[in-house]
Amino acid sequence: MKYDEFLYDEIGNEYERKDLYLLQLAQLYAKLENTSNKSEIKAEIKKHKQSKDKHDYNLKLKAYKEEERDFYKKLRSEIKDFSNSLDKSISPKEKDLKKQLFKAEKKENFYIDYTDLTYDAEFEYKKSKLIVEQIPEIIEFIESGRSDLEKLKEDKKDIDENNENQIKAEIEKYKTEQKQILDNEISRIKEMRRNNRISKKAEKNEIGELKIKYKQALKLKSFDSKTRTNRENIKNKEYEIKTGLKQKIWVLKSDIADMKSKTPVETHQSVPLIGYLTFLLPGLGQIINKQNIKGLFFFILSLFIYMIAIPYGLGYGNYQGDGISGLITLAEGGMRLDKSLIFMIEGIIAMFLLILALLFIYISFKDVKKVEKNRIRGIRPNNWFETNKKIKDEGFPYMVSSPALFVIIFTVLVPITTTLLLSLTGMDPKHQSKFSWVGIDNYKLIALGKGLAGEVFWHIFLWTIIWTIVATSLAIVLGFFLALLVNNERIRGKTFFRSIFILPWAVPAFISIMFFSIMFSSTGALTEIIEFITGKAIEVKSNPTLTRVVLILLQGWLGSSYVFLLSTGVLQAIPEDLYEAADIDGATSWQRIRRITLPIVLFQTAPLLVGQYTFNFNNFSIIYLFNGGGPFNTSKYGNLAGSSDLLISYIYKLTMDNQYQAIGAAITAIISLGLMFFAFLGYRNSKAFKEERL
Amino acid sequence: MKLFKRKNKDDLYLSDKQPLNFAGKINLSLIYIVLISWSIVIIWPLYQMVVSAFNGRQGQYLRLNDVFEFSLEHFHYLFSETLYLTWVKNTIIIAVTTAVLTLIIVSFTGYAYSRYRFKGRKASLMAIMLIQTIPSFAGITAYFTIHSIVSDLVPMFSRQMMLILIYTGGSIASNTFILKGYIDSISPELDDAAKIDGCSNLQIYRLIIMPIARPMLAIIALWSFIGPFMDYLLPRVLLTSPQSYTLAAGLFTLINDFRTINQPAFAAGGLLTAIPIVILFISLRKQLVSGLAQGSVKG
Repeated sequence: MKYDEFLYDEIGNEYERKDLYLLQLAQLYAKLENTSNKSEIKAEIKKHKQSKDKHDYNLKLKAYKEEERDFYKKLRSEIKDFSNSLDKSISPKEKDLKKQLFKAEKKENFYIDYTDLTYDAEFEYKKSKLIVEQIPEIIEFIESGRSDLEKLKEDKKDIDENNENQIKAEIEKYKTEQKQILDNEISRIKEMRRNNRISKKAEKNEIGELKIKYKQALKLKSFDSKTRTNRENIKNKEYEIKTGLKQKIWVLKSDIADMKSKTPVETHQSVPLIGYLTFLLPGLGQIINKQNIKGLFFFILSLFIYMIAIPYGLGYGNYQGDGISGLITLAEGGMRLDKSLIFMIEGIIAMFLLILALLFIYISFKDVKKVEKNRIRGIRPNNWFETNKKIKDEGFPYMVSSPALFVIIFTVLVPITTTLLLSLTGMDPKHQSKFSWVGIDNYKLIALGKGLAGEVFWHIFLWTIIWTIVATSLAIVLGFFLALLVNNERIRGKTFFRSIFILPWAVPAFISIMFFSIMFSSTGALTEIIEFITGKAIEVKSNPTLTRVVLILLQGWLGSSYVFLLSTGVLQAIPEDLYEAADIDGATSWQRIRRITLPIVLFQTAPLLVGQYTFNFNNFSIIYLFNGGGPFNTSKYGNLAGSSDLLISYIYKLTMDNQYQAIGAAITAIISLGLMFFAFLGYRNSKAFKEERL
Repeated sequence: MKLFKRKNKDDLYLSDKQPLNFAGKINLSLIYIVLISWSIVIIWPLYQMVVSAFNGRQGQYLRLNDVFEFSLEHFHYLFSETLYLTWVKNTIIIAVTTAVLTLIIVSFTGYAYSRYRFKGRKASLMAIMLIQTIPSFAGITAYFTIHSIVSDLVPMFSRQMMLILIYTGGSIASNTFILKGYIDSISPELDDAAKIDGCSNLQIYRLIIMPIARPMLAIIALWSFIGPFMDYLLPRVLLTSPQSYTLAAGLFTLINDFRTINQPAFAAGGLLTAIPIVILFISLRKQLVSGLAQGSVKG
């Protein structure tokens, strides 16, 4: 069915059609649905449509439109005359209101005759009526406020100077009196404190209270002065006028909006076409829908699309690259100075800009289409007052998150996309400035353990896994164990031990690691001590196994502190009665730990402990700063990596030191995906994500 | 009544714990031994650092030295021969800017995600959680080039600014999550009451939510402030001249670069850097840890 017999508003109330032509058409369509003799009705519809211009109602409507045009022509000149006749001294705000009132009165008179003809006229009539009802009150409010203000200012001139001076003197006298009282009271309280009759806190509170009392008394007294009172009154009045006016206008506007939602609209349109026709130029559709201010904002988005996003995507305004096409060619056949990497990144930036542009186009299209669809149903489009309110309400989260989105796109998404794409290219030391797409070759090399960089991947991967599990678990066990010991109720000096045990966490890790590195060097303190104890000169840093053991121990030293801190917090919060109940049931101390302490601590710190594992998986500093990933064993690890290198430090060496960016990117992509996968599993099953509140 | 009568003053056992038997006493002393030896394990390396920083008898390389002679020469070297003060200044500028930027951005996103049900919320929240697992070095190759592209448009854009942006961008995801969790625990009835009184969204944010969330905001600010002090990797990659180094990158040149190697000076610099941070951490340890725990429990 193309036309409904009734019109509907936002909450689904039915309204009769006023457009008789459309009503008859709708009735015909309804008949068409229910009858078997379709062709006859179809012919009737066709006839009806052909005689559109001659239809009684349409003729009336045409006459009305002409009259309306004349009316507006006349109104414009009348308003001009009216505004000239207004007193020049009144404020522009008031002048504007008066003009509005004048206009509304005229309109009310004009439209009242046509309210039965069309909903547009009814809407204009009701709107004018509301304005006529409410604006006089607002004007009166302004005028009475102004006269009050003038009166106050008049009063100011009448103030007797001598009298004022007298009052001033009086106030001064009052002030010294009060000061005297205050001082006496304070000294009385201090005396009480000295005799230990009240506590220190009570003393402080009392004195504070007295001071406030003193200030209030002075302030009250100061209003004896007429000048002062007058000044205060003027200030209050000005504020009252300002906010009162704002509020009253707001009420008027919401009343109009309210009335608007109850007055439907009729249109001959039956398919939302404007949205499709104007989607290329956001803003145009809104203006056709008569939502001008909204349209203006969408035009700004259009400017972004056609002045920034699309030209950039086509290669104009690029630093060196060639927009999207640069992403495909990667500067192949370009000039000598053209760099593939720059072409790639600019291509990615262009991609993100275009995605944003598409998003804007989509939003605008949806908006226009929705307004159109609503109008066909009978709902009047929102005016700017409502749109503005809606944006402030529903658009708020989008507006406040947009800076975050911007920063994340340029510092996280673009670089990560680059890395992902880079892993599909052949960027290596021989192809630094120009490289090309090679597909999944890099991944193949890594998976099969072939090639310069792929050979050692699995060795390093294995060590990374061992390191992650052993080093983190060691730190967790150590930290928890120590927290348990310190938390023993019979231990004294808890604060002392706790302060010492968090030192490894508090001292910046890079400093401790560097210092340990110094102490383990061939002349370092720890090397000498080891030599003294064992009698042999052992160089930790040149022995792969020892280096690894020391690294794990060192991470135990560093990481236990954090776990200690976490579990101490949880331990202190475990209620004592749990243990008492266990005691009564005859639990041994081991059972108490296993059945009460361990589950509670683990449950509460689990996410953070998992975080410790991922942290160590990517713990670049300890490896790089302690021994630079060494000792180096070229027969097993080649020239690129050392025997204590983790994947992350290996990636660093590949990309930064040896310029195998593509392979490095491939490894990065693999471990990022792995981490993301585990995180996804964890989060998906977490309670928080399943809950509705998330 | 005889039951409660005091027998003899010396017999009075005032603790509500059971008296220790012999095994208990041995147990207790074992615990003390473990605790004290671990304290030594922690203190000794730090003590070595302090001693070597003040020992005038240390040469370019640190060794275990029996002779101790108090001297400030390494500090003098640090201030006059190296760019230590510049590094401190750089680090502080980067840290403060990062903290402020993070705070502004995150306070808005945390509020929006906690209080509004908007389209794409759940999907973007999932995306945020996944993004925060990707380490920030993943984009290492691109940072350099992005910097040259942007600095071509805006010549003001320095490498340090790039670093600040990377730190900020990297911390948005996790901090939004932490703050969202915290704001979730603030009763929405407060918002409703404010709304009835005529507050706009921005006013609710400014007058209701932010004051209540201040403890968590302080923790977020602190963590983002400390981050640049701790990080070594990104400054190392992005900053090329010693003039622009941060502390971590700068101090490393004192033990790694054979041209500038001076291990006692490193100890001195490390000490100076560590002391304020240690004081900060120890005095605020409860807040810092509770902040972490909050974020994780909600996450």
